[in-house]
Amino acid sequence: MSDEKPFIELRGITKCYGDTIKALDDISFNIKPREIIGLVGDNGAGKSTLIKVISGAHQPTSGKIYVNGKETRFTSSKVAMDVGVETIYQDMNLIDCMDIMRNIFCGREDTTKAGFLNLKKMREKAMHLLQNEVTIEGIRSPNQLVGNLSGGQKQAVAIARAMFFKKQVLLLDEPTSALSVRETQAFLDHITKLRDDGMSVVLVTHNIYHAYQVADRFFLLSHGKCVLDVKKKDTDIEELTKIIVAH
Amino acid sequence: MECGMAATTSTGNSAGNFLNKVRGYKSGNILIVFVAIQIVAICASLIFPEQFRYLSSSNLQVIFRAIPTLGIIALGVNLLMITGEFDLSVGSTFALASIIMAKLFNGGMPLPLAILIALIVGILVGAINGFATVKSNVPSFIITMGAMWFWRGIVLLISQSSNEPFHPGALMEMLFVASVGPFQVQFFWFMAVGFASWLFLERHRMGNQFFAVGGNKSAAKALGINTDRTKMLGFMILGGLAAFSGIISATRVNDVSPIQGEGLELQAIAACVIGGTALMGGRGTVLGAFLGAALLYTIQDVLLLLRAPGFYLKLFVGLIIIVAAILNEMLRKK
Repeated sequence: MSDEKPFIELRGITKCYGDTIKALDDISFNIKPREIIGLVGDNGAGKSTLIKVISGAHQPTSGKIYVNGKETRFTSSKVAMDVGVETIYQDMNLIDCMDIMRNIFCGREDTTKAGFLNLKKMREKAMHLLQNEVTIEGIRSPNQLVGNLSGGQKQAVAIARAMFFKKQVLLLDEPTSALSVRETQAFLDHITKLRDDGMSVVLVTHNIYHAYQVADRFFLLSHGKCVLDVKKKDTDIEELTKIIVAH
Repeated sequence: MECGMAATTSTGNSAGNFLNKVRGYKSGNILIVFVAIQIVAICASLIFPEQFRYLSSSNLQVIFRAIPTLGIIALGVNLLMITGEFDLSVGSTFALASIIMAKLFNGGMPLPLAILIALIVGILVGAINGFATVKSNVPSFIITMGAMWFWRGIVLLISQSSNEPFHPGALMEMLFVASVGPFQVQFFWFMAVGFASWLFLERHRMGNQFFAVGGNKSAAKALGINTDRTKMLGFMILGGLAAFSGIISATRVNDVSPIQGEGLELQAIAACVIGGTALMGGRGTVLGAFLGAALLYTIQDVLLLLRAPGFYLKLFVGLIIIVAAILNEMLRKK
């Protein structure tokens, strides 16, 4: 946790769907280097919309986004990825019918100039990643089909992909919902390690206990508005729970 | 992959292991079925050379001549189905490209230019189908069903419902339809297209993205892949291959009929289904489509040689498609 300048800063972000639904209402939010932010709130609070705005999947109705102090328009997922934001959605964006290696490199394949795949190189990199960075229980080879993996293994592949491309910010949308208790623990350890390695993580969850275990800061949304932005050291789990319930 | 069954046969362990190894490949099962049918047909023709003339040179020529027309289109259909789309208009594109080529050539246009225009027509029809599909979000099945009738109507209009002769000369016939021993040149074209499509699908970035788009479109999009452009490319490649197949076919029969290619679209989809291409996209192999097309013709040929009445053809082909689809689905779940 640091008081450095934010890497990404959102100012006055509002997102409307049609004329009636205001999913986000004048949100100001920032992500500093090397911190884990627990983005919490009840269903329909606007957590997923906020993630989609930061990942470039949805464009805000009004408001501005700054990357390292410079205004940047996140017009597509590609723009967000290029500045260093990787998103892992609930469904993890994995392609079941492809193997682990092809999933890790999908859309960012290592190729020759003519576009042919450097399969050997990619396989070696994937193997290295699986053996040294994100060890996944039960995975022996990057050639295994992702469709045959468990929820936790899939989550780990998605994280391995984010790690490989050295992203600065990892957005995780309800990452623990499909995981067993043991897998959840392994997952939380992974993201702590990512933070220690220099990444920032935004963890969306409505399980406040998971968030509390790893987060350095909490950002609480309710009906599209921010109701609390507090560092972990200034609060405790009872207070957080009380505020969530009250809203 | 679950093994076992094959290993317990009386052929012994090494043969069983070999079979299991082959089955482990993506199109191993269709390969085994194909080879088994070939072995049976070849043995039968060796034992009864007079009654069952499978290995006679005239029969081999018929097979090698007939397979590429469907096979080249099936290879394109396989690519498109992997992206999760269908094109029911390929039979019409096949006729449209060749009738335009024949008309232009007979009207005095140089042959290479007429061929080039035919290929461009095919690619253009594919591009229109693709554009309409990705922009409207209407299933390609519906869009291309409309396109099938629309372009067939255009073919009938251009041809005034009568056949167009096409005599492109010796060089063209040598390039596309000459005999090389028992083989025909068009079979080499079929193999070349097969190899190119394998390179594209398995070894090229674009092919990798075909699988991604068909396997999980929203994931592909989130990973920065332009899914619309990928699908468009699939439609255009298929349109080009349909036109190419039409050109070969017109050269072979020296004639273009306005109804030629009717039913080809379903046969090509059938060939892919037999070869294990998934109807929902994301899965399929070049070898599977290749063998699927070859298998469809082999079975028809065997039935013809057995002098089975015509209705058996449809009956058998129908059964094979259903059984193959069910088997592929069962294997996938394993």
